[in-house]
Amino acid sequence: MLLQTTITGLAIGGIYALMAVGYSLVFSVLNFSNFAHGSVIMLGAYAGYFVLTKAGASFPVALAGSMLAGVILGVTNERLAYRPLRVRNARPLYFMISAMGVAIFLENLVYATLGAHFYSYPEVLGRSIVRLGGASIGILDLFALAFSSVAITGLHFFLHNTKSGLAIRACSFDMTVASLFGVRIDRIVGLVFALAGALAGLSGIFLGMKYMAYPTMGWITNKAYVAAVIGGLGSLPGAVIGGIVLGLLETFVSVYISSIIRDVFSFSALVLVLLAMPNGLMGRYVEEKI
Amino acid sequence: MKRLLAAAMVLCLLGFQLCGCGGGTKPGDQAKVPDEPGVPEVIKIGHAVALTGDASIWGQSESNALKMWARKVNEQGGIDGKKIELVTYDTRADSVEAVNVAKRMIEQDKVVAIIGAAQSGVTIAMTAVTEPAKVPLIGTTATNPEVTVKDGVVRPHTFRVCFIDPFQGTVAAQFASTELGAKTAAVLYDVGSDYSSWLAQYFIEAFEKMGGTIVGKEAFRTGELDYRAMLGKLKEGNPDVIFIPTAQKEAALAMKQARDLGYEGKFLGGDNWGSPDIIELGGSAVEGGYFVNLASLEDPDIQDFIAEYRGEYGSDPVLPNPVMAIDALIVLVEAIKKAGSTDGDAICKAIEEIKDLQALTGKITYDPQTHNPLNKPAIIQQIKDGEFIYVEKYVTS
Repeated sequence: MLLQTTITGLAIGGIYALMAVGYSLVFSVLNFSNFAHGSVIMLGAYAGYFVLTKAGASFPVALAGSMLAGVILGVTNERLAYRPLRVRNARPLYFMISAMGVAIFLENLVYATLGAHFYSYPEVLGRSIVRLGGASIGILDLFALAFSSVAITGLHFFLHNTKSGLAIRACSFDMTVASLFGVRIDRIVGLVFALAGALAGLSGIFLGMKYMAYPTMGWITNKAYVAAVIGGLGSLPGAVIGGIVLGLLETFVSVYISSIIRDVFSFSALVLVLLAMPNGLMGRYVEEKI
Repeated sequence: MKRLLAAAMVLCLLGFQLCGCGGGTKPGDQAKVPDEPGVPEVIKIGHAVALTGDASIWGQSESNALKMWARKVNEQGGIDGKKIELVTYDTRADSVEAVNVAKRMIEQDKVVAIIGAAQSGVTIAMTAVTEPAKVPLIGTTATNPEVTVKDGVVRPHTFRVCFIDPFQGTVAAQFASTELGAKTAAVLYDVGSDYSSWLAQYFIEAFEKMGGTIVGKEAFRTGELDYRAMLGKLKEGNPDVIFIPTAQKEAALAMKQARDLGYEGKFLGGDNWGSPDIIELGGSAVEGGYFVNLASLEDPDIQDFIAEYRGEYGSDPVLPNPVMAIDALIVLVEAIKKAGSTDGDAICKAIEEIKDLQALTGKITYDPQTHNPLNKPAIIQQIKDGEFIYVEKYVTS
């Protein structure tokens, strides 16, 4: 039972982590919470679904398609909604309001075009399960967990071992100073949104396969956002740790206390972490946090 | 200049308002009242149904079917020569909206009775309006006991044509015990839904009465996506069946995840499963699941209706709502005929006296104590090869 609970918690936490990394990546550079991330995840799920069913493509193609859709959406989103604000040196609060606007716009766009219908993915990976000791895990969970780890590790590698990665990290410390040293800010911000978009597309297709695709699925990311805040907004390792901690906490509360009051615990944990460590578990010092 | 413009606009507005007021109190409306006070020229019957939203898949079909049936009643002479007219409004399966709809039907449209709603919670909300107005309300698939009986006292103007939750839970429990040979069972239900909580409670009571053991009971909140934590705990008890009396979306996801966890027993559900969605959402995981339903396309008693519906709309009705709404209309027509009046109290008295009335899904006899139909057979269906299979008509012992 303990093993099964831990495995389930890890599987749920892995999904939270993948989504939380997208939040933290944008926050680290632009210092605002990109609430449109959830909507990009939702559209990524739809993109994956349509590539898979309507175009009849194979799973790797659908995966690439949904990541590509995430990239395009993320970058377009930045160009249209955030760049004009950045040019005018707007405060993070206005970025966040703009992000909420984008989220509501995209959600309603889906309602208006595709309707409230639930789209269920075909079973590409089958229903097989893997047994570990007395516990079992779905092949899809295992695959999602593995793929998420690869994606997050890849992102980490990219940030620490490439020139663009270095530029992103420089921008996250101080954008003005970075631009003085010849970093092209527009390009770097675009790159950050492209990376976050790819992660969103990836989360989207896995969420869609695990559950289903529907207009309000972006709100699952509320939990991912909580995970990002627990871990410390702006910190990528923090997002991963926050996601896993939250996934494990929820599962253990559901199993050993009560599934009905699970969310009470999740949000209490958020408040407690913020009281004890205002910057989250791994957060860096920031003056303004919105 | 600005001030002038403002004054002109105010005048315009005033003018509109006056016109509006004048229109509302035209004395012509009064003159339409027929000579006979008992039964008006046209008998208006309200139909509160979810035409949009999550429940619209049944609501649309229900509305179509009821319109078809009302036309049929009119073609056969209506009620003692008076035509019936359906006043259909969308409730969106939302309690607040349904209360507004009921008010509009009673105050503006002056309906003599209302058919609906399909959801227990929505129907209970509507009684707040229909009971004080003494307008008979007949729930279609509102299976919660509290729809007709509140704190042990029957609501005088509220009826239903379906069986109640205890019965559905009892059917599921007895079926699991006698037909599936289950000795142990677990329950996963939606604590945010009255329907689900009641079904769960009565299943547990009936299953234990049959000598079975409940090895686990877990709950979640409406809209939940991940059930693995709760399912993992239920699986520990190794139940022969897991009863999941929830809406099709939650049930499908839960079954998928239970199979992912390696659960190999059987699934059992309530009538909310009866939507093709469950197969699309659940895929191979829902295969073999049994559920209790109020009606089935393969029910030999309703074949004529189905053929007629197909001819009219080119598709199958989405059961059970259409046949339940028609049963409600049959009950209502019979009661108005018998009462010889459209007075609310008279109709209710006539419904209470209905005995062995041949409706669409079977014979209906009302219990005056509870306003429920007595001994309605339930239908057991199974999901097999991506379709709903008719298993049997099950009558509880």
